[in-house]
Amino acid sequence: MEMVMGAPAGGLEAAGRVPGNRGMWVGILCELTEFALMFLAYAWFKQVHPADFHHGPAMLNTASGVWNTVVMLTSGYFAVRALLAIRRNDAAAARNWLVATLAGGIAFLLIKAWEFSWNIDHGVVGTGNSFVAMYYYLTFNHLVHVVWGCLGLIWAILRTSFGAYSPEDHDGLEAAVLYWHATDLAWIVIFPLLYVLR
Amino acid sequence: MKIMQMDGQERQVTLVWLGLVALTLGSAWLGEGLASIGITAALVAMIVAIKGLLVIRYYMGLAGRGSRLGQVMRLYFVVVPLLILLAGGAGAVLS
Repeated sequence: MEMVMGAPAGGLEAAGRVPGNRGMWVGILCELTEFALMFLAYAWFKQVHPADFHHGPAMLNTASGVWNTVVMLTSGYFAVRALLAIRRNDAAAARNWLVATLAGGIAFLLIKAWEFSWNIDHGVVGTGNSFVAMYYYLTFNHLVHVVWGCLGLIWAILRTSFGAYSPEDHDGLEAAVLYWHATDLAWIVIFPLLYVLR
Repeated sequence: MKIMQMDGQERQVTLVWLGLVALTLGSAWLGEGLASIGITAALVAMIVAIKGLLVIRYYMGLAGRGSRLGQVMRLYFVVVPLLILLAGGAGAVLS
């Protein structure tokens, strides 16, 4: 697979190299395909039940959706900084940026837990409304991927702490970071579908 | 933020992050329902495309025109915004 990396995340990479590892890219492409099918399901149900989807976003707590997005994007930024740090052979900084990335992931999960609790208090439960059903379908699936991403980040933090990565060899760290960005990409689409589009 | 002490790559990715956050807040503003459904759908589709392409290029580092993986990822953020546009446009017709 031909590959040319671009600045800044891959600015030091050579042409022809797959970032992270091929196995992780299979996982990422499967994840994005899975979400693409869900987006198609969203579009289908929006046509079949337009009233549910027109009034749906107003039922949700928009602020928590915005916070989730900002936290996810910020966490992704921290992940890039971790990659840049290990490339300049600063493992301590890379570990700290990864810990910050993980903190962002945990914050995302906590905000989501609070939002689900708010939903229950306000009657936003998945019965009789196709928008609400799609909301839980998309957000729970994404939540599972965030948990997988957090586990990957924990692994990368431990490996970085034990000096496993160097500027020349940090594929594992890069793979964990790339998976995190893929989860970020899915949320970039989910946020407007659920909280903005009517 | 010690932005002046950052090197070129760090400064660039920091600016991209700020841009992504600004686009998110712009999306949230659209959710207030101040624009028509059709215009909201068009702006949302555009914002999703821009955010996706920024993450792919500057967060994931897939910038090369010859990168097949990069092409697939970029295609994703052309097709999905078109789907948003279609879904939103249909919503505007049906409402």
